[in-house]
Amino acid sequence: MTTSMTTSAKIKSLGDVLAVVESGMTVGIGGWIFHGQPMALIRGLIAKGVRDLTLVPAPGSIAPDMLIGAGCVKETACVFISFEHLGLAPNFRRAAQSGAVKVLEMDGPGIAGGLRAGACDLPYGLIPDLGTDLPKVNPQGYRKARVQEGSRPLLEVPAIKPDVLLLHGQQADEEGNVQYFGAGYFDLLMAQASKHVICSVDRIVPTSTVRQSARLTKIPSAFVDTIVVTPFGAHPGCSPGLYDQDEAHLKAYVAASRDQKSFDAYLDTHARGGEAAYRERIGAAALAGLTAGDGGNRGAAS
Amino acid sequence: MPVVPQGFALGEMLAVLLARDMADGEKAIVGTNSDIQVAACNLARARHAPHLWWVSGPGGMTNPTEGIVRPAADAENIAVAQAVMDLPQMIDFIDWQVHFFDFAILGALQTDRFGNINTVCVGDHAKPKLRGPGTVGISALCGLSKRFYIMMTRHDRGAFVPKVDFVCGAGHMSGGSSRTDAGLPEGGPRLVVTPLGVFDFEPASKAMRVHSLHEGVTIEEVRDNTGFDLVVPDSIQRTSPPDAEELFVLRRAVDTTGVLAAKFPWPKAN
Repeated sequence: MTTSMTTSAKIKSLGDVLAVVESGMTVGIGGWIFHGQPMALIRGLIAKGVRDLTLVPAPGSIAPDMLIGAGCVKETACVFISFEHLGLAPNFRRAAQSGAVKVLEMDGPGIAGGLRAGACDLPYGLIPDLGTDLPKVNPQGYRKARVQEGSRPLLEVPAIKPDVLLLHGQQADEEGNVQYFGAGYFDLLMAQASKHVICSVDRIVPTSTVRQSARLTKIPSAFVDTIVVTPFGAHPGCSPGLYDQDEAHLKAYVAASRDQKSFDAYLDTHARGGEAAYRERIGAAALAGLTAGDGGNRGAAS
Repeated sequence: MPVVPQGFALGEMLAVLLARDMADGEKAIVGTNSDIQVAACNLARARHAPHLWWVSGPGGMTNPTEGIVRPAADAENIAVAQAVMDLPQMIDFIDWQVHFFDFAILGALQTDRFGNINTVCVGDHAKPKLRGPGTVGISALCGLSKRFYIMMTRHDRGAFVPKVDFVCGAGHMSGGSSRTDAGLPEGGPRLVVTPLGVFDFEPASKAMRVHSLHEGVTIEEVRDNTGFDLVVPDSIQRTSPPDAEELFVLRRAVDTTGVLAAKFPWPKAN
């Protein structure tokens, strides 16, 4: 297995998979709130020092928040960025309130219609006009559509085609078939719409393992450009079926986000030293405490 | 806010009040951070609405039931679900189809006299005083489901404002027939449940109206905590509190680990 792993063209180091990401690009982020946030890739981008990104996050939490707090972001789409029971996303909130980051306000239909148009090579999608204030604050993102007399009022939403998409799955084989033990959320639709897809996974498994439970493959290899193996790469979020979100670390993150100086110190300690040092700092005991005993089996059984 | 000495938590009461209004065979959707919604749907299924169908919006699991209130997106729901759908397919009936869902239950930073919903920002959008999490599916659920419920865990003038600072979910818009005039399907908010009472909407004006006040709550207290004039009927009902059977089923079959009591206690007295 080790031999075949090293001969895979898709599996690369963190530095190599992130080589394609340049300042000014539009970057999509998959997952859902604290689920499957591609945190190793986010930390890698912060260490690399990219700037002026435009983010298109699926409803998310710490992934967009950390990039924003690290000063990597010029503007971000916001469908939903929340720390749920831990409150509002602290760095996103500060940047939005001060105007440091431009917010492209969006909603579920807007991102769904835009991604579907992107995936279908259509210039825009059509969504119902739901009577919200979104077209007022994001007129480029929501344009009144011409409709036939008597039709429902509709809006045009421009196609979303991220330059790069960052995803996290639980396991993949050397060909780049990515398996999820939980829900796939918008990840496959985003992958279909994106120009380049980078996926981090907690582990690599033999292709025979993938074939035994092919229903778990949410992102088939044709939609994946590169894979990086990052154990605990979704930490401090959860990797469904493998480990839970780290409540203590998330609370410490929120506390560290109280001002920029304090958050910079967090980033120096946690985001700029590489993943091995990150896991070392979090500690084996803490990481082991987050792991779900039968997660993989439960996922496979479904 | 009142200190309420009853033998149940705010979250338990809200779940019971919502569950009572659900009917057998209805279809509902539950969002991510939705412990009270999950409990309400499963309580209705356990009591009077065994064929209520609910789906986790982000996760696609249908009717997950195991007696533990879990976040609706969690993978643990898969093992106790009836089906697991994928979001890129679900968006057809979440974001486009009219009246697929009988109801959704939504929280908000602000709501107003006509039951519009704001989770985006307080103050001007370009320079907000408070930046909220965003709209996610609220626009579609308010706009397209047959009805919706507004569930507020606080009732004060910051949350109940004359007009929301940002409409991310259309309620009765500016009242009267303005919602359907704007081309939206029939629907809108049906009830608002809060720590102080239950509110509905006057049929013609579509303005928020007092339906019932919880035990120990006075109309003056509600007025003091509401930033607009409520329609007040001649005689005000008292909310029927959760009864022993409702609480028994809730605690023994739906929320056996006490998530609601732990996360949603009554607000402290001012």
